[in-house]
Amino acid sequence: MLRRTHLYDFHVRKGHMIEFAGFEMPLWYEGTVPECKAVRNSVGIFDTSHMGRALVSGDDSTAFLNYVTTNDVAALEVGRAHYSVMCNENGGIIDDFIVNRLAEKQYLAIPNAGNREKDLSWLRTKATQFKVEIRHVSDEVSMFAVQGPNAQKVLQEMCSEDLSSIPRFGGRNVNLDGIKATITRTGYTGEDGFEVFTWDSPVEQPSKAVTMWNAILDHGKASHIQPCGLGARDVLRLEAGMCLYGHDITESITPLRARLGFVVKLAKSEFIGRDVLAREKADGPKRVRVGLKLLEAGIPRAECDILKGSSVLGKVTSGTFSPTIGQGIAMGYVPREYSKTGERLDINVRGKKLQAEVTGFPFYDTSKYGWQRTQR
Amino acid sequence: MNDYEVPEGLYYTKEHEWVKLEGGNCRIGVSDYAQKSLHEVVFVDLPKVGARVVRSQSLGSVESVKAVADVFAPISGEVTEVNAKLADTPELVNQQPYGSGWIAVVKPSNLEAELKNLLDSKSYADFLRTQVK
Repeated sequence: MLRRTHLYDFHVRKGHMIEFAGFEMPLWYEGTVPECKAVRNSVGIFDTSHMGRALVSGDDSTAFLNYVTTNDVAALEVGRAHYSVMCNENGGIIDDFIVNRLAEKQYLAIPNAGNREKDLSWLRTKATQFKVEIRHVSDEVSMFAVQGPNAQKVLQEMCSEDLSSIPRFGGRNVNLDGIKATITRTGYTGEDGFEVFTWDSPVEQPSKAVTMWNAILDHGKASHIQPCGLGARDVLRLEAGMCLYGHDITESITPLRARLGFVVKLAKSEFIGRDVLAREKADGPKRVRVGLKLLEAGIPRAECDILKGSSVLGKVTSGTFSPTIGQGIAMGYVPREYSKTGERLDINVRGKKLQAEVTGFPFYDTSKYGWQRTQR
Repeated sequence: MNDYEVPEGLYYTKEHEWVKLEGGNCRIGVSDYAQKSLHEVVFVDLPKVGARVVRSQSLGSVESVKAVADVFAPISGEVTEVNAKLADTPELVNQQPYGSGWIAVVKPSNLEAELKNLLDSKSYADFLRTQVK
């Protein structure tokens, strides 16, 4: 039996459904291309309730999360969030997620949909020496992402709190059209935007979540808010250079190879995977994740070989057509010596060797798209 | 099959290509069902003029953002023309799958025998009914 979110009826009525990570979810409503454009140019809304919500609280919650994740939780202020990864003893990534510090001793982590149970069981196994309580609240809290340059405008209409005062990766409790919610200035699109958590909103009693969703759609009408499916979500995150767990990062890839070194804080207290990561950092990772932009027409896909001349350097881990830049884009792993921006490589796309260039992230021009153009 | 257009006078494959006989040549494209299944065509990989194509083998692809569909040659022969407009306007495949969204023209090498493998519009419409719940 596939799982459903609070918005299942809406999705079935309006969307083209697929199975994703054990859930029945919309792939698109209007189409992946117009949905991507809505988010880059105005605003889109995504149902992300298939993702996990894990509440970690208790006296040792900071020490515990600092032990199981690589970023420095102790440095996180209350009301702020950061991106982080959880590694195994070999430095391989168990999952990547946002950690929100809700209170001095309470955190909300957002595991990937496909890793909900794995993460929770890993956390519980590692928690035995710590005074913490771990609650799996995925099915009690709904979660939507409102993303795009007009996201703030839409949500501001629904509440009296000044949303412009929320910095990127900041959050606060608000009343949206009278419904209690926590919103955070986070997302998976590269654009400015918010993630909206509606508390006490069990999936078996979806009416509160549905009311919230419809209220956001109503207030977004003037901005032509577009419901967006997983197709647009995947394209937008790839354009922004963000990893998709299970494709671009796995348990056999370290955060340093994935170029996520900015969340690995070796100077903090002991954490799982530290020794391996410290050694890899000293030596330099042998293979690294790169962005690749095709220099000719074609669409690279996952599993395509990346070549230099006739030698295979690695494989594409994610690839797509980018509606924003109108080109085929990809990410994949290559030996570090081939990872410099501007390096010319080839990608074997369905038997044709197509020229590609190593590029930085994001793929788009940040003076035209992305949160950088509107936020400090 | 009310949801999908299946013009009469064309030949079809179970892989959802169509063939239009034009004098001695065959114009090839993908059916309305194929374009609707892909939804938004953003790229068409065309064969080269002069290429030899073999029935049931891929001669190119029609791609959406998230999916790739092979275009299988319905007929063996030599490619004499390709629809170069699709390089800049691949959406023609969605807009007019049987018209300006055509893919290629093939000069057939074994038309009479291979034509027997193709479906007429009625048989193809019947086949579509079995594909759609």
